[in-house]
Amino acid sequence: MTPANPQREYDLMMTRRQLFGRTALGLGTAAMANLLGPELSAEGKPTGPHHKPKAKRVIYLFMSGGPSHHDLWDYKPKMQEMFGKPLPKEVRDGQRLTGMTARQKTHAVAPSKYKFTKYENNDRGVWISELLPHTAKVAKELCVVHSTFTEAINHDPAITYIQTGSQVPGRPSLGAWLSYGLGTMNENLPSYVVMHARSRFPEQSLFSRLWGTGFMPSDHQGILLRSQGDPVLYLSNPKGVNRKDRRVQLDTLAALNQQQHEKFGDPEILARIRQHEMAYRMQSSIPELMDISKEGADTFKLYGEEARKPGSFAACCLNARRLAERGVRNIQIFHRGWDAHGSLPREHESQCKDVDQGSAALIRDLKQRGMLEDTLVVWGGEFGRTAYCQGGLSRKNYGRDHHPRCFTVWMAGGGIKPGITYGQTDDYAYNIVDADGNTLRPQPTKDKWTPGTMHIHDLNATILHLVGFDHRKLTYRYQGRDFRLTDIHGHVIKELLV
Amino acid sequence: MKTTSLVTILTLLACSGSHLLFAEDKGTVDFAREVLPILSNKCFVCHGPDTRKKDLLRLDSYEGATKDLGDYQAVNPKDPGKSEILVRIHSDDDPMPPKKAEKQLTDRERDLISRWVRQGGKYASHWAFIPPVKKKAKKPAGGNEIDVFIIDRLKEKKLELASEADRATLARRAALVLTGLPPEPAQLKAFLADKGADAYEKLVNQLLASEHYGEHQARYWLDAVRYGDTHGLHLDNKRGIYPYRDWVVYAFNSNLRLDKFITWQLAGDLLPRPTLQQRVATGFVRMNPTTAEGGAIPLEFQAKNNFDRTETLGTVLLGMTLTCARCHTHKYDPIPQTEYYQLLAFFNSTAENSMDGNSYTYAPVIKAPANQQAWMVWNSLNADGKKLLAGLKKETAAALEAKDANKWKNGSLKDRLLLLASAGDAPEKDEAKKIVDAMGKSSGSFTTTLVAKDLGKPRVTRVLSRGEYNLPIGDPLQPGTLSIMGAFPEKAPRNRLGLARWLTSREHPLVSRVLVNRVWQRVFGDGIVRTPEDFGMQGQQPTHPELLDWLAVELQDSDWNLKHMLRLMVTSRTFRQDSIRRKDLDDPENKLFARGPSHRLDAEVLRDIALWASRLLAPEMGGEGIKPYQPAGLWSALMHPASNTKKYVADKGEKLYRRSLYVYWKRTSPHPMMTLFDAPSRESSCVKRSRTNTSLQSLGLFNETQRVEMGRKLAERLLKDAGDDRQRLDLLFTLLACRTANENERKACQGLLDAMRDRYKDAEKDALALLSMGEAARDEKLNPAEHAAWTQVAITLLASDLSILLY
Repeated sequence: MTPANPQREYDLMMTRRQLFGRTALGLGTAAMANLLGPELSAEGKPTGPHHKPKAKRVIYLFMSGGPSHHDLWDYKPKMQEMFGKPLPKEVRDGQRLTGMTARQKTHAVAPSKYKFTKYENNDRGVWISELLPHTAKVAKELCVVHSTFTEAINHDPAITYIQTGSQVPGRPSLGAWLSYGLGTMNENLPSYVVMHARSRFPEQSLFSRLWGTGFMPSDHQGILLRSQGDPVLYLSNPKGVNRKDRRVQLDTLAALNQQQHEKFGDPEILARIRQHEMAYRMQSSIPELMDISKEGADTFKLYGEEARKPGSFAACCLNARRLAERGVRNIQIFHRGWDAHGSLPREHESQCKDVDQGSAALIRDLKQRGMLEDTLVVWGGEFGRTAYCQGGLSRKNYGRDHHPRCFTVWMAGGGIKPGITYGQTDDYAYNIVDADGNTLRPQPTKDKWTPGTMHIHDLNATILHLVGFDHRKLTYRYQGRDFRLTDIHGHVIKELLV
Repeated sequence: MKTTSLVTILTLLACSGSHLLFAEDKGTVDFAREVLPILSNKCFVCHGPDTRKKDLLRLDSYEGATKDLGDYQAVNPKDPGKSEILVRIHSDDDPMPPKKAEKQLTDRERDLISRWVRQGGKYASHWAFIPPVKKKAKKPAGGNEIDVFIIDRLKEKKLELASEADRATLARRAALVLTGLPPEPAQLKAFLADKGADAYEKLVNQLLASEHYGEHQARYWLDAVRYGDTHGLHLDNKRGIYPYRDWVVYAFNSNLRLDKFITWQLAGDLLPRPTLQQRVATGFVRMNPTTAEGGAIPLEFQAKNNFDRTETLGTVLLGMTLTCARCHTHKYDPIPQTEYYQLLAFFNSTAENSMDGNSYTYAPVIKAPANQQAWMVWNSLNADGKKLLAGLKKETAAALEAKDANKWKNGSLKDRLLLLASAGDAPEKDEAKKIVDAMGKSSGSFTTTLVAKDLGKPRVTRVLSRGEYNLPIGDPLQPGTLSIMGAFPEKAPRNRLGLARWLTSREHPLVSRVLVNRVWQRVFGDGIVRTPEDFGMQGQQPTHPELLDWLAVELQDSDWNLKHMLRLMVTSRTFRQDSIRRKDLDDPENKLFARGPSHRLDAEVLRDIALWASRLLAPEMGGEGIKPYQPAGLWSALMHPASNTKKYVADKGEKLYRRSLYVYWKRTSPHPMMTLFDAPSRESSCVKRSRTNTSLQSLGLFNETQRVEMGRKLAERLLKDAGDDRQRLDLLFTLLACRTANENERKACQGLLDAMRDRYKDAEKDALALLSMGEAARDEKLNPAEHAAWTQVAITLLASDLSILLY
């Protein structure tokens, strides 16, 4: 049975695919219906985001392990006087501790050994530690949030929480949600790209669930852009096969599949022919992307010579800019090694050296290309670190355990107010306080949001808002429930928006 | 009720934005199928089982809806026109749902509710909570009972089943559905030559008897129970539990009754004198991901592990999410929070630590056969032993009992055999000793596997407020089941065994439906209920409710016989239809089942077909997870330095070529060729895989080392087994598509072959490079250029929709 009009069949299929989500499968149907909202879905008209987006793309620099806000961002001079003294009980105030320091005899205050400088921004100014000299130079672009918080106190649950909205595996990642909502602007490159930057302290594991899709169709998963072997898995032809050979193979394949389609009339077959063609184009678009030989001396002055080394954080940042230029909307860089339970200075100095210049260069580079205004850049980890020392304490060396009650995250570009400082913490950077210094005990935002605070669900709600989605409406039905990235929580923090 | 089921379908389609299938119908509204889902989805969040304020209107029962609220009723059964609900859903000033509600009613939903109220506002239970009843179905000519239900629906549309698929296509389809592999060429030939009326049934029986059958069917179960070879969290270290996987294969191949299959997994350890199989089966209870992260709090993970098990039970056997009820009474389905924790209490007293210690032998563990062969030996020795004991003369048995009553009555098979072996004058003495010795020898090569065991003293279970592990409230709870799904069986013990009895009782409304729906899904590509994970009020309605019920009861009537159910399905006329899209019907999702199944095959099947066609497939079954080639650095890029799965070392030799069921499953980073084609991570239950279609899949099909290796070995087979181009192409097509090429296909392939011959004729280096991919030895007698050219043809065919689709 031959379809009467292949072109019509194809058009029909494409309409259906757009309507039903990314594939002509049932799951996409429900997704799209939810996405559209009841009225629109009943009409069956596909539509874009919920409101006009400020950001076209997101670049998320994820510091896995939990950077110390004490040593990088949250300047607490009063802690110096408390060196080695026990953290006052009322400060800890019943906070549950991890199994690593819960039984530690004393919780001695460990002030940061690093020098902080106050940098001018468009607000009250921002203190930045000497460990981040390059980032300090772009302080006027950053929105620094000191009052980020979570409930999870260990890595696996915490990183799963901030990336998927749930401490337990099984839900789609932030990136998958973005891919589901945003789609792609460049069909020759993956819509969602993940990079792993090298660290000298590759501690704490990462999990494919952090860029996975949970119960969503797996074509929304993050594609690894690797520095070892093929940049994208299986990109290169086998040995002894060149591009011309592949062309002949694909032409043969298309002829065979076309036959199959003529017999069975299954529109997925035509869609698959397109995917094979896209793969062929990707085989040239990805090497072109990865080829930084045409980048000028300026680029490497900006990002540093490190950017020439594949797999370095700086190289990942440069890749991120190149990806963004080419229409990829959803980019994440994971950098491990921030879990400094002991020898924090040694580890964090190296970590900061890894990420500082690259992060700052990315901001400047996007700005000079006019892309920062519609690119949201996010920098942060899954939690903060304790004010008290884990293990031995000296002026030179100390360690810090995990701390969920407050930590610092910064954002820039893409509709975020540049150069502001948001939220504050007490003298120990242990608790979030209001402007008058009163301790706040914020809960995840469901009905009532505590001003001045940013729960990780609020962060995710704000990210979705900036790219055009109402986090309460971007849903995916599974097991009868319309799941959201922000679960039943989340609040868009308008104070951070332009 | 024919008209109403049409409306049902229409409603479903309206949700998916398609009005293509049926015209609108204005008949009687079916509350359970049409209105209840709307109330559930749009109203229950406030007016449902979890209503916060006590005096707030409840719409989840007739009593609630018709309650006298002063001078009005939401639903007024005596004077329906006066029902307040009619006013409020149409009100602009004071609408329901309120303006700020996230979910609003659509016009057609308002219309349905209004019509239902005007027709009297009667309530009925949600279909899935009423035990299934088997409607009599008369076998039609040339088909079976299944077809009755399918044909009935088609008749309403004045349609018929599609014509039958040609026999070769049917053979391929049946073989792939039952065994996950195409038919052997000889088997296919014999089938095509057999003109007998029962030829197809004979083929189906052969396929059901193949040991590949159990391997293929096991895979779906392993997805559902989230089987993995690692702990899944934090370091994601190795976990020793593959004997469980091999037992599942064995259970399917030996067609263990599904009620026992479930009972052993939930509670094999609690059966009297449990066998090794029964104990290994309890690995199911231990399948939840676990952690030993340094800072983790044991009590927290005790709770999390229990949540996971309880909710997985919900997905796998009840087709229901229970997660909502962890924190509050379920918003949609009638599951109170207390009952959730009573169900959880069945799992709260297992003996393992809540933290895994990063240990391979995360206790309790037992020793079990280390591969399928060892299982067979063990099981046959056990059968021999049992037979021997059963055949003892009364006097012998009495003498043994007199000798050691406890051992004789309560001991293991081995204990009892030993007793017999030491009995002075029994003629079976030597035989008993022989069996015991053989058992000893066999168990010498056993490996460890995680099992369930209960604590002597049960842990106390209480409701956890908001699901927080440190906020227990209320009185201690005794283990209990969900009241909406029938009573707990009288006299059953309040432990996992009692839970299993409840689940497998005839009165249970869900278990047989949920299981049979998933069997249908793997045969027909989509379930009768398209949301196999949700049979609750938010789930989709069955496309053929009476068929689902018929099958569910038939499963029970057949003594839970899975092979019987599969035989029924694949021999139905419905299954045997052509899968060509029909011109006379626009039903893209095949909700009428008016054509044969067609879809892309699963990741494992794609690899297995190629291994099989290239004759690389290793026959070994079971054993430790195998590690095929994998690009370097994938694990180390993610893993903690202390993890024992940070380094991937590919296997060598025949382990590279075992069936994909045996591929090592690291839950935080499964093999990329599996995830690329939609295999789940197995961190959580998956009862329905997505079927995506991406460009990266194309790269994998053409460039992955094993794909190329399989291509060149397949080419080798063609070159050796067939004489000329024509015959070789015939063989290639026969292997992958069960038919020879048509002229267009032949032309296309010949063109590729000639181009590649030309390409490699003077490029021996390239040819040899291509032929060196993978470890398998190359037949050096073959001309490299010719071999390389055929390799390119084979790779292309293996990547084509002729190979990778079911049709």
